Amino acid sequence: MLEIHELFAKVEGKQILNGLNLSIKPGEVHAIMGPNGAGKSTLGNVLTGRAGYDVVSGEVTFNGKNLFELEVEERAREGLFLAFQYPVEIPGVSNMEFLKASVDARRKHLGLPDLSSFDFMKLARECSQKVSLDPAFLKRGVNEGFSGGEKKRNEIMQMMLLEPGLCILDETDSGLDIDALQVVSAGVNAMRDGARSFIVVTHYQRLLDFIVPDYVHVLANGKIVRTGDKELAKELEAKGYGWLEQESV
Amino acid sequence: MSASMTSNRQHTAAAAPLNAFQQQALALAAQQSVVGDNERLLSDLRKQGAQEFELATWPGRKIEQWKYTSVQVLKDYESAVWANGSGVSGEFVSERLIPLHATRLVFVDGVLDSAASDEMPDGICLFSQADELAAELIRSNLGKVSGSVSAARRNLFASLNSAWTQDGLLIHVGRNVVLEKPVYLVYVSSTQSNVVTNHRTLVVLEQSANARIIEHFVSEDNSVACSSFVNSLTEIQLGQNAHLHHTRINLEHESAAHIGAVHVNLMRDAVLKGFTLSEGSKLKRLDYQLNHCGQGASLNFDGVYLARHNQLVDYHTCIEHRVPNCTSQQVFRGIVGDKAKAVFNGRIHIFEDAQKTLAEMSNRNLLTSNTAEINTKPELEIYADDVKCAHGATISQLDETALYYLQSRGISPSQARMMLSFGFINELLSSVPDETLQDWLESWLRDRFSEDRSLVSDVRSLSASGAGN
Amino acid sequence: MSEQVESLIRKEYAAGFHSAIESDTLAPGLDEDTVRFISAQKQEPEWMLDWRLKAFRAWQEMAEPTWAHVHYPEIDFKSISYYSAPKSMKDRPKSLDEVDPELIATYEKLGIPLHEQAALAGVAMDVVFDSVSVVTTFREKLREVGVIFCPISDAIREYPELVKKYLGSVVPQKDNFYAALNSAVFSDGSFVYIPKGVRCPMELSTYFRINELNTGQFERTLIIADEGSHVSYLEGCTAPMRDENQLHAAVVELVALDDAQIKYSTVQNWYPGDKEGKGGIYNFVTKRGVAHKNARISWTQVETGSAVTWKYPSCILKGDNSVGEFYSVALTNNFQQADTGTKMIHLGKNTRSTIIAKGISAGRSNSAYRGLVRINPTAEGARNYTQCDSLLIGDRCGAHTFPYIETKNASAVIEHEATTSKVSDDQLFLCQQRGLDAEKAVSMIVNGFCREVFKELPMEFAVEAGKLLEVSLEGSVG
Repeated sequence: MLEIHELFAKVEGKQILNGLNLSIKPGEVHAIMGPNGAGKSTLGNVLTGRAGYDVVSGEVTFNGKNLFELEVEERAREGLFLAFQYPVEIPGVSNMEFLKASVDARRKHLGLPDLSSFDFMKLARECSQKVSLDPAFLKRGVNEGFSGGEKKRNEIMQMMLLEPGLCILDETDSGLDIDALQVVSAGVNAMRDGARSFIVVTHYQRLLDFIVPDYVHVLANGKIVRTGDKELAKELEAKGYGWLEQESV
Repeated sequence: MSASMTSNRQHTAAAAPLNAFQQQALALAAQQSVVGDNERLLSDLRKQGAQEFELATWPGRKIEQWKYTSVQVLKDYESAVWANGSGVSGEFVSERLIPLHATRLVFVDGVLDSAASDEMPDGICLFSQADELAAELIRSNLGKVSGSVSAARRNLFASLNSAWTQDGLLIHVGRNVVLEKPVYLVYVSSTQSNVVTNHRTLVVLEQSANARIIEHFVSEDNSVACSSFVNSLTEIQLGQNAHLHHTRINLEHESAAHIGAVHVNLMRDAVLKGFTLSEGSKLKRLDYQLNHCGQGASLNFDGVYLARHNQLVDYHTCIEHRVPNCTSQQVFRGIVGDKAKAVFNGRIHIFEDAQKTLAEMSNRNLLTSNTAEINTKPELEIYADDVKCAHGATISQLDETALYYLQSRGISPSQARMMLSFGFINELLSSVPDETLQDWLESWLRDRFSEDRSLVSDVRSLSASGAGN
Repeated sequence: MSEQVESLIRKEYAAGFHSAIESDTLAPGLDEDTVRFISAQKQEPEWMLDWRLKAFRAWQEMAEPTWAHVHYPEIDFKSISYYSAPKSMKDRPKSLDEVDPELIATYEKLGIPLHEQAALAGVAMDVVFDSVSVVTTFREKLREVGVIFCPISDAIREYPELVKKYLGSVVPQKDNFYAALNSAVFSDGSFVYIPKGVRCPMELSTYFRINELNTGQFERTLIIADEGSHVSYLEGCTAPMRDENQLHAAVVELVALDDAQIKYSTVQNWYPGDKEGKGGIYNFVTKRGVAHKNARISWTQVETGSAVTWKYPSCILKGDNSVGEFYSVALTNNFQQADTGTKMIHLGKNTRSTIIAKGISAGRSNSAYRGLVRINPTAEGARNYTQCDSLLIGDRCGAHTFPYIETKNASAVIEHEATTSKVSDDQLFLCQQRGLDAEKAVSMIVNGFCREVFKELPMEFAVEAGKLLEVSLEGSVG
């Protein structure tokens, strides 16, 4: 599904990713852990094509297509989804309008007919209930005045509506209390269907108790320095990152 | 060095000779026949207005209030006559007007169109139909609100409006009366060209009265140029603890010239919630003069302007905090594209002793073309120390992070820009009190953005195509 | 206003003495002969006289501006003397040893030692007394690295090509009423040229002093920073206390060629008039710089003096990537009035400007910020950030903000913010409760308010500026 080969990338002239390799097959859940500044968030932004994140070299294919030949929105329509660590507020644009536009674009790309407003509303309500978000939020501006937890739940709701092939969760656990963490995790787990893949970026092992990964990778100094299973995450929790960082230099 | 009278500082010369428009304007005033009770009610106001207009310095680049706005197009009206359109059609009413549950009064070229209007409830009447009580209200309030600002700051077109006041509308809401239905005033310009129209409205809310007023300026036929000049002045006196929602929307055809003003005096604990939205036109100048005259008064005032093609839109707002303990909050946003020009001059004046004032103003702009122009001037004039005043003004582009967010969900860049540009304005519509009105404005706005890309900020493509001169 | 605060605003103007120096002073009056006289006194070449006369003729056609938020009685320009020089200057002193000891004493009293050995380390100084430059220190040392620092009257004779090329190139003769007057009758001022690639080894400084009664001071400063050079320049000013108003109408022109940097700092402490508003200097000044490609011009000003100030140090950002900065503290007390600010004219691509203006009003004074930010259609990618803050001390003063923002390029990003605040009794109480006296508390609050600007001043002067504020605020606190 996703093949990353020797990826080097810069942010504001500074080298952040240094030859990263990663291969993800359908249905797999990969956790990426690492210390602050390791390049965890950069990976998600590079893959989705954010301006300012410059690919120096390397190749990434997504469903066999060269990702770097696609625009931001084309990657999204292909089924690449990033759940943001800090979702932006867009006052004046209603959540509903935003979601409908996104879903329409994805469906059009897949050759599916537009949903009627009625069907869309119904679907949006269902999804909002799944993440315990009051449907009244649909009428408000995108993320406008949402609490940290509400924003994260809104991200998961979008994921449910767009049904992407690959979901990148960028520190989705940060700033969440235990209840919200459970809601978000349940939402993610409900979407694990054997075909959809996940990259779960996190600093802490805690999230991985709820979303159990198939692989755990440790990212340090811009590349993956160790790969293991969920036991690796526990080892990291106990020992910290220092010992791995030293190895990677 | 001594201070003597012999200097080469230029004294204001004797009034300059009147230009052709000024002469015609005064001639038009003289043509009006004001008879009967109205003559007694209005003659002083008319005379004084004409006098002030005659003596006023004609707008030009050196006149601060007209620095960025030329009134050159008034030359088109040097031989103008009074407009006299007939009534509007039922089709016009159902298709072009806002379907408000309100008392609707339609004026066509300044004349009440009874067929298209609802019956006037108690307290609302034309000056010419004033009973004794109404006449007394007109006598004691008309011209007093707009006359309460210092002479140097008075607008000559407000004076002209007085000179041209042949009739007008009085809206009076008595003590403790809550007006259930909003009053919806529609000012229609017919398709005549080379004509002028004058509107004068006086609103008096007595102590603890409560009302909603919507003023809507519209052209009879939007597909035809209607090159009329409209001068419209609404004076509002808010009594102690009175509450008023006031909305004014100017959506005439872009060939129209409009100079309008709203003057409000707020007495003790009065509350004003104002909203204004305007599209540019050949000449569009709107002055809001809001005066806190009684302690504890408060006002919230939001405004939107959009200008494209060769349009001009110019908002001058002035909030005078004359007494202590009042608040004012003002938010204006505008989008300007093509070869259009927008002017925003927002002034806050805190008088001596107006302590404990809270006054804030924000003005944000999007400029979507390198041939368009925005001039903004947020002013503070403060003579009291225990106050909290702030203003901010920005001219910028759409938020890159928000654009990326939308695109990362599969939305195309152009649609994302449109959504964000729409949202930038739409955010202010939430302060419109009436849901029907809000919906109507939102759908109008949506149409405007989808039919004309010139209001959608897309600076990247501008730079790419080398449009930066 | 609390009494404690009130009592804090009163202290005497320390530089208000008059020196008994014999002067040759031209009788009051202004016509073409006045212009010819000044030019002759300076032994100027013909082209300079013609330049002045052209300015004078233009001035006669011009009207005094009235748009500023200041009020003062009309000025009779014929009642002013346009030239005054210490008698001892007739045979210009060759060295400091020949300078009138009374003059040296005057400057020592002002805290400005003229002897090079006693001078502030690393600061070269040009000293202008009424209409003439009396001494320029470190001139030789600067010449070693090619830096020219001399009275402008010398430059006109010694470096005519440079003067011809740049004088009036930034502020044309007809630019405005006062600039035209200055162009006609300017008497002296400083000239600076920094050659290509040279970083000026010391701070350059000019000190202006008005001494004679009924004289106006019209100095002219021209600074040219050639490609890739750097210079930091500081000016200071004082005048005796007099009941009459005196006029000061200066012009400063800065030229920063490609990649050059000019930092221009002013500590303006002209006599502000007395507590009743009697006397004081009318300070009507035109200051402007042109920044070429990648150049940077930075204006920093601390304005505490003058009865009326009318001053807008400006930057024309002509070259791509050029930068303009304006940092200002304007303090008014008693009946002082200040209308000051800046203009940032963006012409080049990716030009940037920053404006930080702090106005402090006390007593019955009025302080206004007036600024223009203009983005021309050519200024792709221009950026401006403006912050104007006003601090009111007492309830009989005024603080005003008049920013003009004109944009004709869609890629511009402009942010303007303005706020007002006061020294509140609560703040004072807190400070006092912690053991500070009221005077200290107010000066602390005011200094904190001005910190962003002070940090832009050269170090020695930042300290001086802080003290100056303290003195100027005496008796003002509310």
